[in-house]
Amino acid sequence: MKLNLLAWRNLWRHKRRTLITASSIAFGVLLSVTFTGAGDYFYTRMIDAGAKMGMGHITVAARDYNRAPSSQKRLQSANQHQATLRELPEVSSVIARIQGQAMFASARKSIGGTFIAIDPAQETASNNLFIQSLVEGKMLETVSDKGIVMGVDLARKLQLSLGKKVVYTTTDVNGDIVSAIARVSGLFRTGVSEVDGGLALLPLQSVQTVLGYESDEVSFIAVNLHDQRASHVLRDSLQQQAAFQDMEVLNWQQTQPDLAGMIAVDKSANKISQLLIALLISAGIINTMLMSVLERIREFGVMMALGMSPRHLFGLVMLESFWLAVTGLIIGIIITIPWYLYMFETGLDLTSAYGDDFSFGGVLLDTVFKIRLFKESVVGILIGLFSLALIAGAYPAWRASRIPPVEGLKAL
Amino acid sequence: MNLFTLASRNVYRHRHRSIVTTLAMAFACTMMIVFAALMDGFRIGSERNVVSMNTGDIQIHQPDYRDDPDIYSLIEQAGAIVEQHQQLGFYATVRLFAYGLMASDETSSGVQLRGIELETEPTVTDIDQHVMTGQWLSGDDPHGVVIGKKLSKLLDVGLGDELIFVGQTADGYMANDRFEIRGILKSVSAAIDNGGVFMSNTMLRELITLPKGAHEIVLMRHDRTTDLAAVTAQVKSRVGEQLEVMNWQQLMPIINRFIETAHLQTLIMMIFTYIAVGSVVLNAMLMSVFERIHEFGIMKAIGVKPQQLIVLIYIEMFIQTFLAVLLALGAGSVLSWYIQENGLDMSSLADGISFAGLAFDPVWYAALTSNALMMPSVFLFIIAAIAVIYPAIKVAVIQPVEAIHHQ
Amino acid sequence: MFKPLFFCFSLFSLLVFPSVQAVELEVDRVKTLLNAVDDLWRGESSYAVTTMYVKTANYARTMKMEGWSKGKEKTLFRVVKPLREKGTSTLKSDNHVYTYLPKTDRTIKLTSGMMMGSWMGSHLTNDDLVKEARLEEDYTAEISFEGERDGQRIIEFTLVPKLDAAVVWGKLELTILADGHIPVVESYYDEDMVLARTIRFTDIQQLGGRLRPAVLRVVPADKPDEYTEFVYEKLSLNVKLKDGLFSLSSLKKR
Repeated sequence: MKLNLLAWRNLWRHKRRTLITASSIAFGVLLSVTFTGAGDYFYTRMIDAGAKMGMGHITVAARDYNRAPSSQKRLQSANQHQATLRELPEVSSVIARIQGQAMFASARKSIGGTFIAIDPAQETASNNLFIQSLVEGKMLETVSDKGIVMGVDLARKLQLSLGKKVVYTTTDVNGDIVSAIARVSGLFRTGVSEVDGGLALLPLQSVQTVLGYESDEVSFIAVNLHDQRASHVLRDSLQQQAAFQDMEVLNWQQTQPDLAGMIAVDKSANKISQLLIALLISAGIINTMLMSVLERIREFGVMMALGMSPRHLFGLVMLESFWLAVTGLIIGIIITIPWYLYMFETGLDLTSAYGDDFSFGGVLLDTVFKIRLFKESVVGILIGLFSLALIAGAYPAWRASRIPPVEGLKAL
Repeated sequence: MNLFTLASRNVYRHRHRSIVTTLAMAFACTMMIVFAALMDGFRIGSERNVVSMNTGDIQIHQPDYRDDPDIYSLIEQAGAIVEQHQQLGFYATVRLFAYGLMASDETSSGVQLRGIELETEPTVTDIDQHVMTGQWLSGDDPHGVVIGKKLSKLLDVGLGDELIFVGQTADGYMANDRFEIRGILKSVSAAIDNGGVFMSNTMLRELITLPKGAHEIVLMRHDRTTDLAAVTAQVKSRVGEQLEVMNWQQLMPIINRFIETAHLQTLIMMIFTYIAVGSVVLNAMLMSVFERIHEFGIMKAIGVKPQQLIVLIYIEMFIQTFLAVLLALGAGSVLSWYIQENGLDMSSLADGISFAGLAFDPVWYAALTSNALMMPSVFLFIIAAIAVIYPAIKVAVIQPVEAIHHQ
Repeated sequence: MFKPLFFCFSLFSLLVFPSVQAVELEVDRVKTLLNAVDDLWRGESSYAVTTMYVKTANYARTMKMEGWSKGKEKTLFRVVKPLREKGTSTLKSDNHVYTYLPKTDRTIKLTSGMMMGSWMGSHLTNDDLVKEARLEEDYTAEISFEGERDGQRIIEFTLVPKLDAAVVWGKLELTILADGHIPVVESYYDEDMVLARTIRFTDIQQLGGRLRPAVLRVVPADKPDEYTEFVYEKLSLNVKLKDGLFSLSSLKKR
């Protein structure tokens, strides 16, 4: 007697019960996909946004720069390293920058802030959040002009508008105080008040001159990847290479620990929630299977009296769990696909709830709630639920195998 | 025929099935209670984080102070306002602020000096408990200061190290003095972490020659369940038009929105969870009725009325659900209480979590609120009741002969 | 001791022919004169005793100090009165500025963050102190008016910052008396040509062997009731000063 067929038929003798239990598994698929997918989408966006805010997914910097940045700590042979990094397949863009603290002064006021010196040719809206957030004027023209692009609030406090000059004072490579002049070419608004009120972009070469850097020296190189998940492995392999021995290669978790922390906590909360739901579903499965076993004591008793071994009985119930799980998964996949496609393409626009200047862990957020799953996650979910169903079926199956035939017949 | 007695006997007779069903429901309900407690704990903890760490319920300033922190922008009658509100059911304290340069052996950095009333501040906020290494301020040690976490790294200093402050007094002279690091704080907010230096108000007043007045008054309600907006309005009318009165929701709109949306998020989660629970209960209830259709058929055949059968089924459901809820309340309370006292320690995941410029405590405490206990229990009853409708009606309607032959 | 003073005295010593007409010639002359005389004014060295009065909306204070300079890059100030600040000194040596604070016996190096802070509570900033010797590097000067104004014969110079000069001002205007070339007023305008601050020179006396204003008053345009006033009580040029005076160790001497 083919156990498989028997198991399948057994299941469908109780259509309603099987369907309801299968639905709960299917629902579990939906939930799991939604939660995990929301997480995957959300975290990836945040990590990418964080990377675009300056340090990239991977950062190559002078030793100790990350812990205590200063203009004295510089990265040499920047061009050479940039070329090396660009060769790598995982890399989407490589950007060299100088970053530092400065006082920005107009005739009216002076305010302390941060400057990021960039090469306008290398940076575009796709890898630089500030360019993306330009609201007035335009980006810097060349790498060596006298322009400056600053946050709207900084300009407002200094009482500056487009075309006006600002003097920035900072410390150069020797520790001396230096000043230089720049004219406002553009203004950006990111929505994060600390950024809009305290950050400015300057041309890389102009800053190199002011700080007394060589033309090949920068503060750090930001490396952006096509897929942020490659950052860990890549960072490790780069740090090992001889060329990067006397530098620090850091990934985004090290350069943005706040963001990393938030994501870690959110992920755990997510996992805990999913665990709870998984437990619920398994409770339902155990309930169903156990009931179905208990009510078939007589049937099993007869089968064992006719010569079926306890082992086979165990196998039978396990197979029933198996097919139940399969059915549940298939239904689950069927109902989840349209939902997933909708959420992937369109998503839920939560802007009304969140407003449009929502920042999380220091990174500005997009308020459209979408989901997106990585292949690994999909596989993970399916395997997880499947195993769950099987494990849940184990106890009932065991119970079934322990029924003494006599007891079974007694129930007659 | 006493239906109740019959119901309880039925439940007892089909022990195994009843136990399994009851346990499944109890389990589901327990999960919901723990989950609700965690969510409530998160919401309460977040608010506490914001409010009790540093912000307080309500703050009072001169109208232009927050935009342009000028040391001359003082609330002159600060002392009187504090006393008045202490009589009216608030904890109250004042703060003074000054900006200047702190120099260590290695380097120097711009800082914000935060003058604290040693006696009243701990009644309003918990910042004194937030010291990572070292100790909080003490009246015996006026030159002892407590500094922010990142500031200690920027200045490359640790406990016991000396700092020199350079700034300007209110009467135009140079403010200059030595201080010693008494404590370093855990993460509080971006501003405090990067440049906050806490000292006693007595010391600060002397340092910058500001004997009277204060820059900020902080109030905390004794009873925090009152309507914050209403209380804020009352304070405003009491204090007068010249001063700015704002509550924490207005001062930190982003955090406020976060907490609200976290609330929204947890609500969505709860709904999903309830749906999952619902399917379990539905399943259990359906099975427990349908598998006895034969039995019901016989009862009908001997004359039991359909309404009576429905009532019977409902009582059986009620008994099982009631037991399930009792179990769940018990187990759920114990678990939630445990997490409430000890919390889930997330700090292995994150060294310091910050959100919109504010630091969050990485330990997640549950809150065993009546809400967390009641909602899941009530819901369980409702779901079970709904789940039984279909089978109950079917039983009521079916022909006895059909029922007896039903498979 | 601050740039306006140096600048005025440079012109004072040199503009012997007030009515030169040829503009180009004059521009050249002004330029070379600015350079040469800035050197001349500073001479080898200088020593001065000044009293500073500061009046703001919130306080009024008085401070007496001594100052030495050698060449363009070395300057030392030391506070003599009031007692609570006695011994506080500021040393500018090349591009570094240090302040010694006697109360805590510490020397602090000026950082970029402190540049815009007011110097000793006055209306001048630390930045003014650092930038004072670089006037001729940063500006292009020309005579914008010559003739009579308010019953006095004056010459007015307009200084416009050079394109790359790291100064916040839009232009400076200096008015001097045609006779004796004593400075009357110096005006600072922001980029929109709105007046930001004014320095007036009064109380002409014999100081250091020449006729010059003994009082300078700095008035911010947005708060005309406030001012910072420097009164020169003593001034000597080309005194013998050792290089060692302009060192960190001498900062600490009271």
